[in-house]
Parts: sequence; structure tokens; C-alpha cells
Amino acid sequence: MILCVDPDAAARERTVVALADAGFDVEHAGSLADARDVLADGASLDCLVTEYDLGDGTGLELAEDVRGHSPDAACVLFTTTSLDDVDTGTFGALVAEYVAKQGEDRGELLGLVEHALAFRSQTAYPLPDDEGARVAALEQYATDPAELGESLDRLTVIATELFDATAAAVGIIDAHSQEFLSCHGIAFEPMAREDTTCTYAILDADVTVVEDVWEDPRFADNEALDAAGVRFYASAPLVTPDDQAIGTFCIYDDEPRAFADRDRELLSMLGEEAMQQLTLRSRVSADGGDDDE
Amino acid sequence: MSDDYEFARLPLASLRPGTTVLVTGSAHVGARNLGLQMLSGPPSEGAILISTNHRAGRIADDWARSGFELVEDRAAILDCVGDEETDVPAQVMPVSGPSDLTGIGMRYSDVYRTFTEAGVERVRTGLFSVSTLLSFGDLKTVSRFVHTLSGRIDAVDGIGVFYIDPGMHDDQTVSTVTQFCSARIDVRETETGQELRARGIPGQSREWIDFDVRTE
Repeated sequence: MILCVDPDAAARERTVVALADAGFDVEHAGSLADARDVLADGASLDCLVTEYDLGDGTGLELAEDVRGHSPDAACVLFTTTSLDDVDTGTFGALVAEYVAKQGEDRGELLGLVEHALAFRSQTAYPLPDDEGARVAALEQYATDPAELGESLDRLTVIATELFDATAAAVGIIDAHSQEFLSCHGIAFEPMAREDTTCTYAILDADVTVVEDVWEDPRFADNEALDAAGVRFYASAPLVTPDDQAIGTFCIYDDEPRAFADRDRELLSMLGEEAMQQLTLRSRVSADGGDDDE
Repeated sequence: MSDDYEFARLPLASLRPGTTVLVTGSAHVGARNLGLQMLSGPPSEGAILISTNHRAGRIADDWARSGFELVEDRAAILDCVGDEETDVPAQVMPVSGPSDLTGIGMRYSDVYRTFTEAGVERVRTGLFSVSTLLSFGDLKTVSRFVHTLSGRIDAVDGIGVFYIDPGMHDDQTVSTVTQFCSARIDVRETETGQELRARGIPGQSREWIDFDVRTE
């Protein structure tokens, strides 16, 4: 969903119509407070298009809220305010796009929004080369964790004991977050993709090992890992028969440690076994679907 | 392809529009000069250079020594360090500092628009350097900035040349930044001179090859 915020009702209407005509689902608001109400409704946001001066605050304040709400959202300041009058310094870490609002033209804005959403180019983490196909592949595996629980739970118990680790988990990475199908020794709620180690691990076809999370610049400030007491991380990607990495089989420890070559091989096997379970389940549920017709 | 961006005096294959290259190597082995020269296209092209740690005047001199003729309507420098300098033959846009990534990104878009309005359709973009941004901001924030900027360059069919000094960062940082770029050129010094090695550039050797950048 795109949220379009502009106190100028006529200009806002023009922007909303242009985005809706391009096929986007658009919500709109005329002030910072109204925009915050839209966010409070909870729907995930793909993109924010906002004026700078919203009467009761600025578009950059709103963009900061949006990133707290939907961390991957593309934010675009679409404004008549001159850049000289935009206080960017206070929001230096935000990173947003800027398009000057000139008259009735919406072409430049539309091009930018279409590209930003198609390529998801404002995420704070790298994407696999074929992210669209990866997410599409995921759909056929996205089954109910409760249904899968037992088989994967056995594997995470085995992994924890095998590696003498504090915990093990099987996670699936969708477009914006990671969900856990099984956790043993640790309890993870779904996490924003930019906060998970596995986001980086799925870029690598091999086993990923982070011997000391505190020493890795990608995770050193990660509060979620810190709260869970994670110091060591290793994972094998869950790779579909079509070569798409849809998730990971991970183990965690509360102390930094090394991980031998044999351990890597064993973790790979556990990843393959978990993937096979997911594949079998997806086939069973596909067959079940046929029976219903 | 005729739309490709060419590098006249460098042993580099042309780049497809939309490509961003990460140039890695320490400044003293010539990596920065190589990057500047890659930004220097024919007179029909524009160039926008984001200078994070050198004043506009200094980087304009370095750029000119690499053989580029700076002209105000096709060269812009986003200066994150100094005040606006008037004696530089380029549009010089001040940004409050290298930690203001939002400001840098927005200034960039604004300058790009003035180029388009002036009929300059092909633009090379330099970011010198990612290392400075990383010393003022965390990896996650810089990642979002680099991703957004390379996405913007792709959207407008430009090319990007981003410079990083790998000696200032650990491997994970350099590898993460590399993942936002479609190609990478490593630069090193040997007993006989300088060498570069490219990755991800179609038609370009993946071996180390000699190169010489003009500095007069």
C-alpha cells in the first residue's frame, strides 16, 4: 500500500489518482496526525509519498515513523518546499528520495515510485539477485507452522544437542520479515528482515558462520540478537529444488566459538533435511487441494 | 551497445547504463584517481561527484588533473565538507555533513533534475567515499543510502562509481557494500606500477591488468 500525504487537497487528489491509475493501492491523509492514524491501523506500507510541510509537522518526521512501522518502505518527499528550507540534518540517517512538486506533473514521481517498488531499492540490506522469484517460490512453502512443527522440532532438538549449542531454529524469510517455523532453546517472534542474521545468510550458497556476533559490523548493534543472548551464529540456507533460498536452518550459542568443517557439513545436512520436509509438506497440501476440487 | 558508457583512456570495457561499480583500493595506490577518471566522460555527458571528505576546490583540482574539463552546466560537486566556493567551474552544492545522508540523497536528486532540465540525459555519479560515510554512520544506515543511490542511478540509466578504501573496514563491511553494486574493481600497487581487476563487467577480463591514470 502507498500512503500519500499532502495538506493541499487538490494536489493530493492529483497524486492519488496518478498512483491509483498506475495500479497501486493508495491511502491518503492531509496532515501528520491523520497519517499517523493510518499507520496505527496497522497495514504494512510499501511506500510513503509526502509533502514536507504538513501543517502539524514535517514529512520527514512522518517518514521516520513509517520506517519504525514498515522498515523496508520507500519514502519519497514530494514537495513544493525548496531543499534549502528542508531540515535534513536532524533526519540524516533516514535516507529518503526527493522529487520537486511542480504544477500538475506526476511523471517523475510515478517513475521513481515504480522503480523503487519493483526493485525495493530503499532496503537497508542487500537482496538476492532474483528476489522476486525467491518470494514467489516461497508462496508454495508458506504452510502453517503448527502443521510442520513436529518434524522440524525434532531436527532443532537434534541440532542443539549435536553441536552442543544453546539453541537451534528453522526460519523462513519472506519479502519483509523472518518467521520461525521451529525454535528450540530460544523463542523468536517474527523479526523485521533488516534485523536478522539470516537476511545475509541467504545470499550465500554455503554455510554462514558468525563466530562472534559482537565483532561483526552487520550485527554488533542488533538489539534483538542481544536480547536473545546470541553471540555465535551458524546457518545453512534452505534451498528449493529451483535453487531459491527461502530460509535457513540456524544454530545459536551464548558464547563466541569456532565451527569446524565437519560441523559445517552436518549443518548443511540438517538444512537439506528441513528443506525436504517442507517440500514434502507442500506436495501433500497441493495434492489435498486437488482432492477438494 | 551504443548506449554504453565508455572509458577512453582506461583498459576497461564499456558499462551498461544502470551499472554501479565499487572501486576498492587505498588512495595512494591510485584507486581514487582511477575512480575520478571513470567519472570523466565525453562533453555530452554530465557528472555529479559527492565529495564526503575533500572541499570542492580540492577535489575539482584532482578531477581536472585526471583529464576532465569541468564545466558548470555538466559538472556538479556535492560538498559535505566546506562552504560554497565560487571559483570552481562546477555547480557546488553544500550539504551539512557526511552524516546527513538524507540531505546528500536529496541534493543529488535536485542537481540531477537541473541536468535533465538542461538537456543533459547521461550522467555519471561519483561517491568519494563510502569509507567516510561509514566513519560517520553505521553500516545499516550507509547500506540503505548506497542501495537507494545505486537504485536511483539504475532508474535513470546513469552509471555510478563508488570508492571505498578496504583497509579502513573489515571484510564483512566491504562485502556488504559490494552487494549493492553490480560490479567491482579492485586496485593494487605492484613493483612496476598499478593494476586493476574487475568483477561483474561483461566483456572485461577478470585477471589483474596494468593501468595508468593521468594525473597531469
